[in-house]
Amino acid sequence: MAMTALLALPLVVGLWLVTGGRGLPRTTAGVAALVTSVVTLGLAAYAVVARPAVDQAWVPAAGIRWQLVVDGISAPLVVLTAAVGVLVAILGLRHVPEGGSAATFHGCLLLVEGGALGTFLANDAILFFVFFEIVLVPMWVLIGRFGDPHDARQRADAAARFVLFTVLGSMLMLTGILLLVHEAGTTRLSALPVAAADLPHGVQVLVVVLLTAGLGVKVPLVPLHTWLPPAHTTAPTAGSVVLAAVLLKMGTYGLVRLPFASLPEGWSTVAPVVGVIGAVGIVWGGLVCLVERDLKRLVAYSSVAHMGFVALGLATGTRAGLQAALFLNIAHGVISALLFVVVGGLKERWGSVDLSRPRPALRETSPHLGFALLLGFAAGLGLPGLAGFWGEFLAVYAAWSSAATDAGAHVLRWCAVAAAIGTALAAGYALRVARVVWVGDEVPPGTARFDADGGERVVTVSLIAAIVVLGVLPAVVFSVMTDAVNRVVGG
Amino acid sequence: MTTLLRLLVLVPAAAALLGLLLARQVALARAVAVVGALGTLGIAAAVLVGQDPQTVGTARLIPALHLGIPGQDAGGLSIPFWQTASGPVVLIAFVVALVAGCVQVYTTWYLRDDDRYGVFAASVSLFSAAMLLVVTSSDLVLTLIGWEVMGWCSYLLIGHWSRKEAARRAAHKAFLVTRVADVGFVLGVVILAGGAGTTSYVQVSGYWAGCQDSASAQAACAAVDHRVLTLALVLLLVGILGKSAMVPFHDWLPDAMEGPTPASALIHAATMVAAGTFVLAQLFDVLAADDTARAVLGVSTAVTMVWGAVLAFGQSDLKRLLAYSTVSQVAIMLSAIAAAPPQDGPTAGTFHLYAHAFYKALLFLLIGWMSVLAGGTSAVRLRGVARRSVLLHVAFLLGLASLAGLPFIVGGLSKEHVIEAAYAGSRAGDATGTLVLAALLLTVVLTAAYATRAYLVVAAGPANPPTIQGYRPSSHPSGADDGAFAEARVIAGPGGEMPAHAGDDLLEHDGPGGRLPAAAATDAAGHDLGRPPVAVLGVVVVLLAGTVLGGLVLFTDLLPGTRSPSGAITAVTVLLVVIGALLAAIASISRAPHPAHALSRGRVDPAVRIVGKRMPLFDNGFGADTAYRVLVAQPILALAHGVAHVDDRVVDATARLCARLVAWTGGLGVRAHSAERPSTGLVWVALGALVVGAVGVLGWR
Repeated sequence: MAMTALLALPLVVGLWLVTGGRGLPRTTAGVAALVTSVVTLGLAAYAVVARPAVDQAWVPAAGIRWQLVVDGISAPLVVLTAAVGVLVAILGLRHVPEGGSAATFHGCLLLVEGGALGTFLANDAILFFVFFEIVLVPMWVLIGRFGDPHDARQRADAAARFVLFTVLGSMLMLTGILLLVHEAGTTRLSALPVAAADLPHGVQVLVVVLLTAGLGVKVPLVPLHTWLPPAHTTAPTAGSVVLAAVLLKMGTYGLVRLPFASLPEGWSTVAPVVGVIGAVGIVWGGLVCLVERDLKRLVAYSSVAHMGFVALGLATGTRAGLQAALFLNIAHGVISALLFVVVGGLKERWGSVDLSRPRPALRETSPHLGFALLLGFAAGLGLPGLAGFWGEFLAVYAAWSSAATDAGAHVLRWCAVAAAIGTALAAGYALRVARVVWVGDEVPPGTARFDADGGERVVTVSLIAAIVVLGVLPAVVFSVMTDAVNRVVGG
Repeated sequence: MTTLLRLLVLVPAAAALLGLLLARQVALARAVAVVGALGTLGIAAAVLVGQDPQTVGTARLIPALHLGIPGQDAGGLSIPFWQTASGPVVLIAFVVALVAGCVQVYTTWYLRDDDRYGVFAASVSLFSAAMLLVVTSSDLVLTLIGWEVMGWCSYLLIGHWSRKEAARRAAHKAFLVTRVADVGFVLGVVILAGGAGTTSYVQVSGYWAGCQDSASAQAACAAVDHRVLTLALVLLLVGILGKSAMVPFHDWLPDAMEGPTPASALIHAATMVAAGTFVLAQLFDVLAADDTARAVLGVSTAVTMVWGAVLAFGQSDLKRLLAYSTVSQVAIMLSAIAAAPPQDGPTAGTFHLYAHAFYKALLFLLIGWMSVLAGGTSAVRLRGVARRSVLLHVAFLLGLASLAGLPFIVGGLSKEHVIEAAYAGSRAGDATGTLVLAALLLTVVLTAAYATRAYLVVAAGPANPPTIQGYRPSSHPSGADDGAFAEARVIAGPGGEMPAHAGDDLLEHDGPGGRLPAAAATDAAGHDLGRPPVAVLGVVVVLLAGTVLGGLVLFTDLLPGTRSPSGAITAVTVLLVVIGALLAAIASISRAPHPAHALSRGRVDPAVRIVGKRMPLFDNGFGADTAYRVLVAQPILALAHGVAHVDDRVVDATARLCARLVAWTGGLGVRAHSAERPSTGLVWVALGALVVGAVGVLGWR
């Protein structure tokens, strides 16, 4: 019951806000969204602790069931999603971008949250796909209507790109899912590994390729990533946060649940290619970040690099690799959320975040925002003691000591080297941003000073706390995942 | 013991966190920093006293991670997070805590008008926590954590005065260079851990070097691929060479002089550059198992110690002279580890690390004091400044004597131990040992020469800095220095391409109070800025005591396996030191009636005499900075531009082209439907439906 409520609450309230409650005043809508998201977070916490399961017939004719479960793999993501839901509600309370009513804005955020929660909770492949797609339209509205008010054409382009790329991916994924479900004879995700174990190798590889290509758009993997930077640049702050912290995770979560867990044999054939794609993504994203002029695009490309680490971890097919990928998922969610909150806040105030334009240094004018930005980039470059370190280190480790066969192992070792080089590139772009934006000459006395407002302070401080806790006590997340990981790998 | 070990890291870390939160309340921040540092020192002392050589203490710092089952499945890794407390560990931990404590106390005076004192003090606390973590670590991942956190702290400390472009550049460079080298460190750790399936030092050593102990471990030996071990160690060494500022990564360290002097003292004496030596000492068994890696280390350190000493001699800025002397001295520590025979262990290197911590911290804190007196750190400014305080004069002289390696002072003792170790290695027929020995003997002469030069400059009389000959206000863009040498640099440098020049300078005290840098200035409260408070003088005395009496540690059992230097080694060392000192002293004598850059009547700066017009070349480190830019930074940036171009014009253009194609076909369809003869269109639709239907029927079967 709690599970259904966990999904229904944000979806129903969100739907009401975008339809019947569209005319609600700003504060009322904001408070309603905040209350909803806080209750959802409470329900998510309960679901993660008590682990209730729901299993009811849904479309009996097709054997599709309304099945929701929480396990060690989804639990951290469920908490992350619900927590991010609260944070964006706070952000929305302080500022609703132009483009529509406040209620619509909050409603879309709640719909995205509900869809993402459903994706992480579904234990049925078709149900997973349905929730995966639910997210699409509200996100499109967030980008297309509430995005950057300066350029309508750019907004339309970014929103259309987002939808078209993602739908293309979804179609590939749907084909893969249908093929898999048809061949294996069950839609139940937890039963798929056993049911699909005896599939012919060719079919396994085909399904894995379809699923990986489809989900790879969402992750995104190079070279399917070019929708992400415009989407991030255009989306409002809250939208960027949700996009980075939640939506990308749906892609990696799908990779873990479908090809990785269901078809380990097919996955191991394709894995070296995925590893190379991941490694290329790490270096590619890092290099682009060294010269990118728009700070929001830069953060988006750094996401591409970080998702490369996730892909690399998964490609190894080992427990360490899977743990690395899952941990990095959470870590990147928190880190990118922080970065987009800060960079979005800067864009609201500056009008643009063009790095080539000289501006007073944040360390002089806005110490709080400056600190948050620096810490976010420090975490992004994988500094130990902060969240980003564990996933990256373990991904490199796993790639070096993978379970792959000889040729594959050789490839993955080179990927480990590339990934390690990627961490140096990350330091390069992090310091570049710090030098352009954070530090600078003393400002003249009359310079306009601004700093984080109340809402931003709450959000950034909570995210910073999360980054430090994940960095110092990684066991918090690893211990939750262990059992599920052991079940998936070599179960 | 286990609780104390944990507290040794957690107390300074907590002080850092608390200090950061209280950074705006200066009094509270100061209290937190000093109490935290002294508390850490107390804990380190307790650990030192309570240390029992028979039972080595261990503690688990945070909950262990077991990612899969080690040894049973590839990719499984166990990270136990062990700390340990052997004799050398507790000794070095104590020295680190002592230097960190001295630096914190000194900082309360040195940066008392700085508007970012709180952040600085918190960074120092975090820095010492990270170094203590590295020192007490018995786990590769714990070491890596401390290692990287130190790098970040160095970025914050070197760039503390971020309103100066030179400081921003120096911080940026320091972090980037060390981080690039750390690619090797991370991969080395990964490979070492990958073989052993765990990151515990004991098991890593057992796995990679176990077969040397007994014949019973033959089975384990078969599993070890020696090429992999070589690769792992060489990669690890790359990281260590980077952090320890060895050639070819050394150039970040002199630029790091842009940081406030207490930060320099910390980075040079007890943390960061010294960390690599200790990590290698802990992993000595693994290193000793591989001759290739030892040779790599030997060659790099042999080159570095001479290179650093030569550059130190020709610096126009005495703070940079000290920086290059660190480069050279750290190379001496590491060379001991490379050259010592395997059965001797790393003790000579550890001992030199211990000795260097005292006298280098002392020298840096003294040069900070001098810079306050003289308003800068260039040799021109510092002329005769030591004559203004007896303590300053004596302490600086003894610090330099220790640096030069006079016998019975701690630096001399440790240097003799290193030479003895290299001699033993050389006698055992090890080429690395011979190379290191030759470099060491040359370096002893050079070190004595530049130490003598530094003394001659600061002790020259009569002291009247404001009217030095040739002094003119500088137009150097970074405002980094003034005087004749700075001008020479500006003229010689290719249009602002010079590496950012270092030194505490006129802008050093640019806090909101607008303190005057001049020697006789007093602050608002009427204190004489040139006379530090008692606590700071106490710090100097403590470090001086360590410098003079530190050798007493040889009478304890904290440094096991020390091989006492023979009388011949001592005699040769003393002879070489005297030769070096005499060379410098003779070079300083001038017959010219009014020589340029005179120190006093009949004396000139020996560096000016010998290096002369080539000094700008020494100041920019023989162009290492340019090499970094041309050989590394520019190609990578060019590649990045290329990649960004491809990303837009190829990858994304493909997507755009697809969209165009779809839109175009869509347009065709619209045109077909809006044509004058709708019936034709209908025919096509019907035909299409028919085809689809037929395919469906055929395919259904």
